[in-house]
Amino acid sequence: MQKDDFSKSYVVEGKLALPYTYFAGRLGSTFLTTIRDQQKIMGVRCNQCSKVFVPPRQTCERCLSDIRENWVTLENTGEVINFTVVREHDKHLPRKTPYILGMIRLDGADTPMVHIIEGVNPESVSEGMRVKAVFAAESEGTILEIDHFIIS
Amino acid sequence: MGYKNKKRHVGIIGIGETKFSSHREDVNQPEMIHEAVRRALDDAGLQIDDIDCVVHGNMELFEMVHQADMWHTIGTGAYGKSAFRLTTGGTTGGTLVCGADNLVASGMYDVVMAIGFEKLQEGHTTGGITNMADPLWARKLQSGALTAQAAVKLIAEFGEERARRAAMTYRIIMDKHACKNPNAHRAFHLEWDQIDDLMKHSPPLIGDLRLIHMCSQSDGACAIIFASEKKAREISDTPVWIRDHITIHREETLNLHNNFYPIQTTHRFAAEKLYERNGIENPLEYFDVFEMYDPSAWWGVDWLRDFFLLEGDQHIQMVENHDIMIDGKMPINPSGGVIATNPIGATAMVRVAEAAKQIRGDAGEHQIPGKVEHGLASSFGGTMWTVLTMLEKETNW
Amino acid sequence: MGEYYGIDVADIFNSMQSRFRPEGAEGVEASIGYDITGTGMWELRIGPGGMSLDKRDELTGCDVVVHVDAQTFVGLNIGKIDAMAALGAAKLKVEGDFNLFAATGKMFTKYVIPGQEVVPEQELLVLKKTISVNQRFAAGPVMGTFLQGLKEKKILAIKCPVCGRLQSPPREICAPCRVRNDEWVEIGPSGEMRMLEYCYYASPDPLTGETRETPYGAIGILLDGCGENEVFWHLLRPDQLDDVQMGIVMGDSVVHGSRLRPVWSENRNGSINDIKYFEIER
Repeated sequence: MQKDDFSKSYVVEGKLALPYTYFAGRLGSTFLTTIRDQQKIMGVRCNQCSKVFVPPRQTCERCLSDIRENWVTLENTGEVINFTVVREHDKHLPRKTPYILGMIRLDGADTPMVHIIEGVNPESVSEGMRVKAVFAAESEGTILEIDHFIIS
Repeated sequence: MGYKNKKRHVGIIGIGETKFSSHREDVNQPEMIHEAVRRALDDAGLQIDDIDCVVHGNMELFEMVHQADMWHTIGTGAYGKSAFRLTTGGTTGGTLVCGADNLVASGMYDVVMAIGFEKLQEGHTTGGITNMADPLWARKLQSGALTAQAAVKLIAEFGEERARRAAMTYRIIMDKHACKNPNAHRAFHLEWDQIDDLMKHSPPLIGDLRLIHMCSQSDGACAIIFASEKKAREISDTPVWIRDHITIHREETLNLHNNFYPIQTTHRFAAEKLYERNGIENPLEYFDVFEMYDPSAWWGVDWLRDFFLLEGDQHIQMVENHDIMIDGKMPINPSGGVIATNPIGATAMVRVAEAAKQIRGDAGEHQIPGKVEHGLASSFGGTMWTVLTMLEKETNW
Repeated sequence: MGEYYGIDVADIFNSMQSRFRPEGAEGVEASIGYDITGTGMWELRIGPGGMSLDKRDELTGCDVVVHVDAQTFVGLNIGKIDAMAALGAAKLKVEGDFNLFAATGKMFTKYVIPGQEVVPEQELLVLKKTISVNQRFAAGPVMGTFLQGLKEKKILAIKCPVCGRLQSPPREICAPCRVRNDEWVEIGPSGEMRMLEYCYYASPDPLTGETRETPYGAIGILLDGCGENEVFWHLLRPDQLDDVQMGIVMGDSVVHGSRLRPVWSENRNGSINDIKYFEIER
């Protein structure tokens, strides 16, 4: 056999398709159903590290203490601390491109969360812009219970 | 084989297991993992700051979450620490132990925590396994981890009645063990007089492999903390020492679909090499407990022969005589084994954890009544490959 | 009639009418028999008009009959026992249409123990997704040659220059000898069946996500021209599952399996599907 004979090489189209079921858990479910039912965004505070995490988590990633009971209600407003513009379309994406994906630090939180920013065109978005949550009319129990954040 | 002795001894100083179950809707992945991490830290009497390095593993196609170790940092405590991810299919849990052992033995880290997990309820186990096969050929043919080949072989060699009865006896012994283990996922309280009924009526999956023979699909996690000898003796009164481990792979998958015996299995090959280099002449006599990765009752029976280097029908007799029961001559899986509990990425690590608990003497209701000083744990995965781990109560080897 | 967990079997049947959920039984027209060991037999009929339940002396003509002991039955209804666990342990046996039995879960609300306070459970969110990814696999020159051969109804194997071993589907190297394979050999296309995996369990085909039809047979075939360990892996014609015999070699004793031949697809594009399956050679 010739070492570099690739004449018989070709590409086979394949597909992988399997069913998956993901559980949000108690904490995640409380977080999302509160957004859905009360239009209220909650985080959890680590008293030891003086940090408020959103989305909430059961343990503080730094000191590993159990913080699941320490709910705090955050404002529905916040600040863009970083962003990117999604330009390449893919069927898995939640929006038609181009759209802005931002890191938003809600007022009262120490950690940013990632979400979609609207109300500004991709060329004009900048760090430090103020945003406000717009809640979804209908969603499937994901972070898209918040439809997007709009520049205020 | 380029095997060298360890630079220093490595001891298990903390063990944490979740309760294993098919229903963990109440936690997400890092939350479930954290339960095991918390228990391991508490068991060792350590804080997360005492851990130098975290090794994490599972089989990602079961949950279809990639780089799970990143997301899971909030549950594992790996924030700001050295962290590795290992994934080797069914042997993942065993490989995690090998990895942690090597990291400590090499002198790179003093205290390493290994974490194995799986949340099988979130994916499709059999579908996930088929994706590990060659996409151009085997993916269409593979039936996941479900196979009746061990049954075909045992029936050909020992006849239908004796083989089927041995497999079901093995199954009931494992259930009796699982009933003593509060962490076990499935404990059915099967009775001896159900053997005939189960042989006939348990729903068939493939050939002679029935639902009752097959391992569960479980959710859960296991964490083990390893330390250098000096640290281990400081931290723990009952460290359990990793004497040696061996991993044997094979290239061949095609001859698995043959009906041609005897063949040398990676189990027997691994066992021969491991015993030879550790001077173990009679493994049945030497070991006090064996936690076997037994995905089905058929494999459990068949593999006894390979792991203990037996001939003829000795392995069948061990089952028939109940030698493998918790109070028998060679207790196998006092935890109930993999048929009772199978959170795949954690499963092989649970074997090591359970064998170590037996050596510590604090396994609880499923503690072996006699002395336990020498333990063996196996892992199984992929196209039939093997990890074997030897555990000791003393460092006098 | 015994009580289990403080509940009588009759309580569960007597409350069925009030627990019936017509929306969960839409389009179902069937009868379900319950044989509660040592206690009695009931027949549940579901139809457009709702449900009816009668005590019976025998359960003939039901679409499905559930055989279960009283304790397990009560345990299942109050959520103390998991149905899959009971099935696995053969404490619950389902005779007939299994899917119909499984659907009864949707037809009734849960049995609530009288007087027991119902604590509303927290709503736990779940996201169900079928993840589907298109993939492209490079066959490479070795697998490519093999797959091209199938187009011409040829099964090719590659031969190790050192040990002479044949591999099909082929690999570029012989791993034990650590050398590059260099010779192609045509094998089969007929051979002897060595292994049959008689699959009753319906798993999803990972290439499509669709559940496969059962039973089906995955087989190992020793194709003509191959040595003892050189088996070929494919599927058996589904209607011949019960007509074939496995060959076996156990030391010196040899039993020959059924002779099989490939059935080729009309449109062959160089994939595993170019062979539909193997069938008995008559």
